[in-house]
Amino acid sequence: MNNIKIKSKNLNVYYGDKQALFDVNLDLNEKEVTALIGPSGCGKSTFIRCINRMNDVIDICKVTGNIEMDGMNINDKDLDVVSLRERVGMVFQKPNPFPKSIYDNISYGPKIHGKGETKSELDQIVENSLKKSALWEEVKDRLDEPGTSLSGGQQQRLCIARAISVNPEVILMDEPCSALDPIATAKIEELIDELKKTYTIVIVTHSMAQAVRVSQKTGFFHLGKLIEVGNTEKIFKNPDNKMTQDYITGRFG
Amino acid sequence: MSNEHTVKSYEEELQFLKDSLIKMGSLTESQLGDAMDAVIKVDKDSIDKIIKSDEEINKFRSKIDTQIMNLLVKRAPMAIDLRETISSLKISQDLERIGDLSKSNAKKVKPLPLDLPDELLGNLKRLGELVMKQLNDVLDSYVNKNFDKAKEVWIKDEQVDDLTYIAMESVIDFLSKDKKNLDFSTHLIFATKNLERAGDHITNIAETVCYLVKGEYLKGSRPKGKVIQE
Ligand SMILES: Nc1ncnc2c1ncn2[C@@H]1O[C@H](COP(=O)(O)OP(=O)(O)OP(=O)(O)O)[C@@H](O)[C@H]1O
Ligand SMILES: [Mg+2]
Repeated sequence: MNNIKIKSKNLNVYYGDKQALFDVNLDLNEKEVTALIGPSGCGKSTFIRCINRMNDVIDICKVTGNIEMDGMNINDKDLDVVSLRERVGMVFQKPNPFPKSIYDNISYGPKIHGKGETKSELDQIVENSLKKSALWEEVKDRLDEPGTSLSGGQQQRLCIARAISVNPEVILMDEPCSALDPIATAKIEELIDELKKTYTIVIVTHSMAQAVRVSQKTGFFHLGKLIEVGNTEKIFKNPDNKMTQDYITGRFG
Repeated sequence: MSNEHTVKSYEEELQFLKDSLIKMGSLTESQLGDAMDAVIKVDKDSIDKIIKSDEEINKFRSKIDTQIMNLLVKRAPMAIDLRETISSLKISQDLERIGDLSKSNAKKVKPLPLDLPDELLGNLKRLGELVMKQLNDVLDSYVNKNFDKAKEVWIKDEQVDDLTYIAMESVIDFLSKDKKNLDFSTHLIFATKNLERAGDHITNIAETVCYLVKGEYLKGSRPKGKVIQE
């Protein structure tokens, strides 16, 4: 069993009066993929946004309880959020490359985080990130073209390259394949398998089959509560909780 | 929260699969009974009918295969549905094998003399009845998702082994009285052994039902009675 990288204890999240997460206790293991599943609106995105403090940008959002990374309190008011986000990268549902060249999309992060002083250092980071995200062969001759000129699947891999360019420890992925075709999806899934050797990964997905394919641990949320969490194989073969079973077998609502 | 699938046709497909398996089970059951009767009564007229019903069972098996493949491709079943699907695949295989063994037993009736003594067939008859009861119970445990009952069947296979041993002994006793009994006695020995094998498939089914219900395999090794080494 790997070390615990991130630990949430009695984590509660409110949007104004509305509570979106209730006492969530969830451990994410280092260099493992954790899948979060559950019906729309159950709080999956809210949970992963707690890990890189993305909820800070939502005025009405209030977070209580504890969330730690390597024992460090992520909710600490004095925490440097910029350096947190350097350690915790994020990939969104829709690929969202900056309206800049492929090269700039990737070099931007390292630059603002003070990594890659010289042009050749940056070149190296760009190349490595694109190689790790399995995009290098497809774009190495067109690095000056805009990121938006790529196909959806390529754009998503570009976003993954951008996320890993700053050498994070954790990568959060919020439905990264929902806009992609099966081949692009397969590429991303294979990439996730590769990336988990280096990074701790959390993926939100609505595809049960994808959760089974990519993750070692799965958490099922319902109405803001973590209903069941455990070994992915166990969850999908023989979950303990009836609600989990009803959800993954398609017997819900 | 309901227990029905949101997708109705999925629900229907699963139900259809279960129904097919239950039908196949009852067909296998009556074929096993018929084959037993044929042996005990040395009823040569029923042989063809039993061979025919084996074809029927094989057809069910391939029909169930197709249903399972369709379910896997269309629905990617999870959890209880996955276990239900995979269990059907395994159980249908065991049923088909039991059917083959019944057919083989029916074929053994042909060379038997019509005037077999009761003491020779008594133990074989008891064995046949026990195997029938085991099959009936295990199918029952499948239909009712009854873990305890399946486990009971699993444990009782020991008795099948013991009775096989006894039935073999009586055939061999008979054989040793007069060497000219040799040609048909061997057929009875094979028929006895076939019943024991059918018992093993029933034990497989019992294990599958336990897995289906609880999602975990029975622990420990199978109970074993006296076994005749092959
Ligand atoms: N910015 C926001 N302002 C107000 N309420 C919000 C906000 N974001 C989320 N919520 C509410 O919090 C709850 C959880 O939302 P969240 O986006 O975490 O769900 P989700 O599990 O990611 O759903 P989906 O699968 O649809 O993406 C929902 O009831 C949602 O309406
Ligand atoms: Mg979401």
